[in-house]
Amino acid sequence: MSQAREFPVSGVRRAQSRLPRKALGMFIRYLIAVILILFAVIPALWIVSASLNPAKSLIGGTFLPQNPGFINYEQLLSNPFFPYVVWLGNSLKIAIITTALTVFLTSLSGYTLSRFRFTGRRTLMMAILVLNVFPSILGMVAIFSMLQQLGAFIDWLGLDGHAALILIYVTGSSGINVLLVKAYIDTIPLELDESALVDGATPWQTFRHIVLPVMTPIVITIGVLTFIASYGDFVIARVLLKSSENLTVMVGLQLFQTDRFDQDFGMITAGAVIAAIPIILIYIPLQKYVIDGLTAGSVKG
Amino acid sequence: MNKVSLVIPTRVYLLHLAVFGVFLAGALWLITSLFAAGLVPLGSALSGIVVFLALIFLRRKFTPLRWLAIGIALALLFTLYPLLYTLFLSVTNMGSGHLMAKQQALARYESELYLPAEGETYRWAAYQAGEGAYALWLIGEDGTGRLAVPGAALQAVEGVGALDSDGFPESLAGYERLPLNRTVPLLSQLSAIDFGEAPDAIRIRSLREAAALQPRYRYDAAQDALIDLETGAVYRPVEGTFTSESGEELPIGFIDTIGIRHFQNFLGSEGFREPLISMMLWNISFAFCSVLFSFVVGLVVTLLFEDLPGKRVIRALLIIPWPIPVLISILIWRSMLNPDLGFVAPVLEAIFGASPEWFSNPLWTRVAVILVNVWLSYPYFYVITAGAIRSIPREIYDAAVVDGAGGWNKLYHITLPLLLRVMMPLLIASFTFNFNNFNVIYIFNFGNPPMPNTIVPMGYTDILISFVYRLAFISSNITNYGLAAAITVLLFLLVSVLVIVQLRFTRLFKEAV
Repeated sequence: MSQAREFPVSGVRRAQSRLPRKALGMFIRYLIAVILILFAVIPALWIVSASLNPAKSLIGGTFLPQNPGFINYEQLLSNPFFPYVVWLGNSLKIAIITTALTVFLTSLSGYTLSRFRFTGRRTLMMAILVLNVFPSILGMVAIFSMLQQLGAFIDWLGLDGHAALILIYVTGSSGINVLLVKAYIDTIPLELDESALVDGATPWQTFRHIVLPVMTPIVITIGVLTFIASYGDFVIARVLLKSSENLTVMVGLQLFQTDRFDQDFGMITAGAVIAAIPIILIYIPLQKYVIDGLTAGSVKG
Repeated sequence: MNKVSLVIPTRVYLLHLAVFGVFLAGALWLITSLFAAGLVPLGSALSGIVVFLALIFLRRKFTPLRWLAIGIALALLFTLYPLLYTLFLSVTNMGSGHLMAKQQALARYESELYLPAEGETYRWAAYQAGEGAYALWLIGEDGTGRLAVPGAALQAVEGVGALDSDGFPESLAGYERLPLNRTVPLLSQLSAIDFGEAPDAIRIRSLREAAALQPRYRYDAAQDALIDLETGAVYRPVEGTFTSESGEELPIGFIDTIGIRHFQNFLGSEGFREPLISMMLWNISFAFCSVLFSFVVGLVVTLLFEDLPGKRVIRALLIIPWPIPVLISILIWRSMLNPDLGFVAPVLEAIFGASPEWFSNPLWTRVAVILVNVWLSYPYFYVITAGAIRSIPREIYDAAVVDGAGGWNKLYHITLPLLLRVMMPLLIASFTFNFNNFNVIYIFNFGNPPMPNTIVPMGYTDILISFVYRLAFISSNITNYGLAAAITVLLFLLVSVLVIVQLRFTRLFKEAV
C-alpha cells in the first residue's frame, strides 16, 4: 500500500528502482536473520564452550576458552559427591519405561475407542479431553500428600520412588495421546480389521497383527513426545524425589547448580551438555514426528 | 463395528479374573489399612476405583472397557482424585504440625513414654560390648538380676561369673563391665537410652536407680480428650490441635477442616490481598508477553525468511533452542546472565557502561524471565506458523493481487486473519501453559527477588503456581498445604475460564462431542 503511494510513477522509473530496493531488502533480511541466529545459537554454543574451559571457576567474559579440554567432563563423571552417572541412568530408565507403558496403553485404548461402541464411550472421551487440559502441575500438592499417605503402606509407591513418578508421567502423557491415536485409527479403513474379526481372529490378534503395523507413524510420534517430556520433566520429579541416588538428571543438575554454582561451574556446564545429548540424538532423526505430534489436534482444524 | 461383538476366549477370561483377583486382594488390604489409619479421602477414592474395575471385569456389557481399564484407573487416581483432594485440602489446616489423620496422631501420642517419679525401681550397672552398644544389668526389688539391651525384652542370663559385693556380675560374655568411674561421665548419654522393649522399656533415673517407663498419654474416646498422665493435664482437640484448658498446645496435631478461612485470609486481609493481586497481574502479563513475543518472533521469522535463498540452513539454526531440555536451557541463561560467570554482563558494560541486575532488580528479573521464555518457545511458534501459512490456498492471494492488493495489504487482510483463526486454540493453550509456567520462574530465580514485608514469603517474579510451591515445599518450618491448596483452587478457577474458551476452538473437542 505505502509502496504504491510513494511511487505512483511510470513503469520505467519503477524498474530502475526495483533492483537496489530488492538488494537492500535482501540485505536487511539477511541482517535480521544473522541477529536472530546469534540469539538462537549463542546460548547453546556458549554452554559447550564453558564446559570445555579448564579454568576452575570464573569465566569472566571470555567466550572461547584458552586451552580447551575435557577435564570438566572427567571431573564430573568421577565426582563422588554428585552421582551424575546414577542420575543420568535414573532419567533414562524412567523415560524408557514411561514411553513403553504409554505407547502400550494409548495404542490399545485408542484402538478400543475407535473401533468398538459401548456404553459411556462418548462421556469417556469428553472426560479425557476436559481433565487433560488442566496442567498437571496444579495437582502437585495433592499428589505429594497422596503419595506420602500411600507410601506409609506400600513402600515402593511412595515419595522418593520411581514407580509413582512413572505412573504419574504415564497418566499425564496418555490423556491427549489416546485421542490422537483414536483419531489416527479412525482414518484406517474399517474393512482392514473387520474382515480379520469376521474370519475368527480375536480382538487382540487383530490389533496386534493388522492394526498395529499400520499405525506405526502415530506410535513413533507418541513415543518420541513421551520420551522427551518424561526425560525433560523437572517439577514433578523435584517434588517427589528426595534422596540423592534417586534423583533424575534434571533435578540433580538443578540442585547441583543451586548448591555449587561458583565452585563447580565447569562441571555443571559439562553435566548440562551431556544431559541434552539423549534428547538431541532422538530429536534430529525423528524431528518430523515431533512436529506432526505437536501440530495435530490444534492447527489442522 | 456393531456387528462384530467383542468375544474374549475363555482362557484369556480366566487369566483376566486371576490377575484381577490378585489385584483385588492387594487393593482391599490397602483400603482397609487406609481407613484404619483414618485416611478417609484416599480410602474412599481407592474403593471407588476398585468398584469401577469390578464392574468392568464382571459385567459383560462393559467388556470393551477392559482394554481401557488400566488407563482409566490411573486417570482416576492421578488426575481426578488430586483435583478433588485439592478442593478438600483447601478447607483444612493441613501443614506443619497438622500432617496426619487424627488416629495417626493419637497413636503417636499413645506410644510416647515417660519416666514416672514413683513405681518399680531397679539397681543397675553398665556394660559395654567392645566399642559398641551399652547394656544394663538390672536387679529388681525381688533381687533377681536380668540383662537389658535396647530394643529387646529383658533376659535372664544363665551362668554369669562371680558377683561383686553389690550382686552385679564381674563379667558377662561379650560385654565388658564399666566401673563406676567410667559410668559417671556416660550418665547423661546412658539415661537417654530406652533399655528393653517398648512398652516395657526401662530408663536410668539416677546413678543408683533405673525404673520402668510408662505410657504418657491416654486417649479417652468418651470425652474426646487426650490425658497427660504425667501432669494430669487434659487436652481437647480444637481445630486439629490438642489444647489444654489453660491454652497450652501439643506440637503434633491432625488434619481437620477449618472452613473457608484460607480464602478469607487471602481475599479478606489487606496485607495478603495486595501482594496477591500484584502477583496475579504479573502472572497475566508474564503469560501474555511470553505468548505475544514468541508468536511475533515466529511470525516475523516465517514472513522474512520463507522465500530467502538458504532458508533451510536459517531454519535449522533458528530452531536450535527447541530440542534442548527446558531445565538445561534455563540453566544456560542463568549462567550467561550471571554477573560473575556469564559473558553478558561484561559485554553490556563494555557497550553501555552498565549491566542490569538480572537477578535482584524486580523489573530486570521480570524482563529476563520473559526473554528466556521467548527463547524457549519461539521455535515452536515458528514451525507451527510456517505450516499454517503454507496451508493458506495460493488462489486467495492471486485473487487479491488481481484486485490490486500490495504486500502489506495481503499480510493485513489475508494472512493475519486466516493465521489467527487457525492458531487461536494454540495461542490460548499456550497462554494457559505459560500462566502456569513454573519451570521458567522457579529455575531461573526461584520467584525472587523477594517482596519486602509480606505475611508469607513472596517474590517479585513469583506467579501463582510458584507461590503454591513456595508455600508447600520451600519454607519447611511453616509449610502450609491448606493455604497452598486454596491458592490452587483459585488457579483452577482461572484456568477453567481459559479452558472453556480453548475447548470451543479445539478440533478434537468438536470431534468428541
